[in-house]
Amino acid sequence: MNLPLFRRTIAANAVRVVVIALGLMLMGIVMPLMYATFGKDLDSFVQTIPLFAQFSNFGGGDLFTLTGMVAMGFAHPFTLLLMGIMAVVFPALAIAGEREKGTLEVTLSRPISRHGLYATLFVAGLLFIMSLAAVLVATISLSIAAVGFADAVSLARFAQLWVADVLLFVAIMSLAFAASVESDRAGPAIGIPAVFVLLNYLAFAIGSIWPDASWLQDYSMFDLLKAKNVLDGGLAPGDVAVMVLFASVFIGIGWYRFPRRDLPAPA
Amino acid sequence: MAAILSQALTKTYRSRGTPLHRDTAVRALTDLSLEVHEGEVFGFLGPNGSGKSTTIRLLLGFLHATSGRAQVLGHDIATESEEIRRRTGYLPGGIAFHDSMTGDEQLRYLAALDGQPATLRDELIDRMQLSQRDLGRQIRDYSRGMRQKIGIVQAFQNDPELAILDEPTEGLDPLMQRSFYDILGDRKRNGRTIFFSSHILSEVERVCDRVAIVRAGELVALTDVAGLLSRRRRRVELRFSGEAPTLDGVPGISEVQLRDDVLACQLEGDPGPLLAALQGVAISDLLIEPARLEEAFMEYYAADAGVDASGGPGIQA
Repeated sequence: MNLPLFRRTIAANAVRVVVIALGLMLMGIVMPLMYATFGKDLDSFVQTIPLFAQFSNFGGGDLFTLTGMVAMGFAHPFTLLLMGIMAVVFPALAIAGEREKGTLEVTLSRPISRHGLYATLFVAGLLFIMSLAAVLVATISLSIAAVGFADAVSLARFAQLWVADVLLFVAIMSLAFAASVESDRAGPAIGIPAVFVLLNYLAFAIGSIWPDASWLQDYSMFDLLKAKNVLDGGLAPGDVAVMVLFASVFIGIGWYRFPRRDLPAPA
Repeated sequence: MAAILSQALTKTYRSRGTPLHRDTAVRALTDLSLEVHEGEVFGFLGPNGSGKSTTIRLLLGFLHATSGRAQVLGHDIATESEEIRRRTGYLPGGIAFHDSMTGDEQLRYLAALDGQPATLRDELIDRMQLSQRDLGRQIRDYSRGMRQKIGIVQAFQNDPELAILDEPTEGLDPLMQRSFYDILGDRKRNGRTIFFSSHILSEVERVCDRVAIVRAGELVALTDVAGLLSRRRRRVELRFSGEAPTLDGVPGISEVQLRDDVLACQLEGDPGPLLAALQGVAISDLLIEPARLEEAFMEYYAADAGVDASGGPGIQA
């Protein structure tokens, strides 16, 4: 862990984090508000059309309950895009991007080990994800209280939801760091985890709205979050274990490979 | 203790093949053995692609040697890279900075990463003629020369025991090149070691104590500049009146040509015997061309196809 590098990383990403946080706050406010304002009417309308009713299962099912609507806030493509910027783009730019620009070479010409650099950037990324997930969870819980459903979900469940959200995006970030370590350019470092996220999301989305393909959800990382289930019944230890294992494997790959990689002169 | 000591250092770049492409292996450096003494300015010469940057990157731990070993300031490059970088200043070729930072922020940030006081920063900023206004601007607005100045300051600002510089005067105007050479002279007088790669022979000739010449990843010469130059053949031309001087048998003299009142010949080594032989001759003009490193360098490359007398592969005189 290198403090000057850590401070510089935080400062360099501060604007990006604030913009993403504002976007997540918007999601956090809108979802409970939609439930309180239009939930029942929408539910009645949707149930009259079988196809729409099927679509209401998206994001964990039962979209027009409070917990279903909150779960939708976590599984919404907009949320995913915002969190994905930190989980995928940040690691890609922090190592492969800096390497492509030539600035990684200047940093590593200082007395800082590659393990030190990797750990520092990872901790910074972890902090970003923890903060952004906290913003989303806090905004949603405040918004729920504001629309008069404060007693509907306990704070402990929101804390568990925050843990699940952090674990999911840390797992994705671990993959992105491993790809970043292995790449000399930012493009592939973004592309590999982005494709992984997209395929997982497609599997999750298709599986949740198409009963015949529901088995696809079992192979999606996003199925591990299950925000509605967490709010209704708490964290599933098995899901936590899978996410921790996934993150550990890719953290280990990055940790092992980075010091062993050759860093030729930037093109 | 040697500042840099390498023994049979070899680097082969391998790339894994795909179903459509075979594995490839390119040998960038072969059995490089050299010793750089503490307190000297050492020039590392070679055209583009000859292995200069590969050597530097091996010494600093960016690359891993395929075979052989090396020590920098007594530390093994394979196991003690961090300690090497703690005691070494580095200027990469075509240095890149964080464009959103100002010059001043960049220098302070790099000093913080060094973890050592930047004792020479103010002096270097002054010598590189960087104003406070310049330092307050974002680096994205800098010209290439300005970036290079910042690169030089960051390499020397904590007074490192060894400075490794890759093409250090790229982008500097002649005035700044002169300031840079003065900085090198001062560092040397303070007992610091400078190792720099270049393909600009005039600057190497001007500032280096010793040079190594690499060609296609192999060391082809390792010698001191003065010795190298003293052994160079130089053209001598003299205009005389009266009887033509006889230079037959004078040590170091060859290819004597006499035309009217002008005598031309080649001189190798000490000019003393020539001057002794010319005693008593009425000389109206005498020209001894200075020995140039370029000629010595070209000699090492003469065997290569495509090398002509005007320059060579990527070499500037």
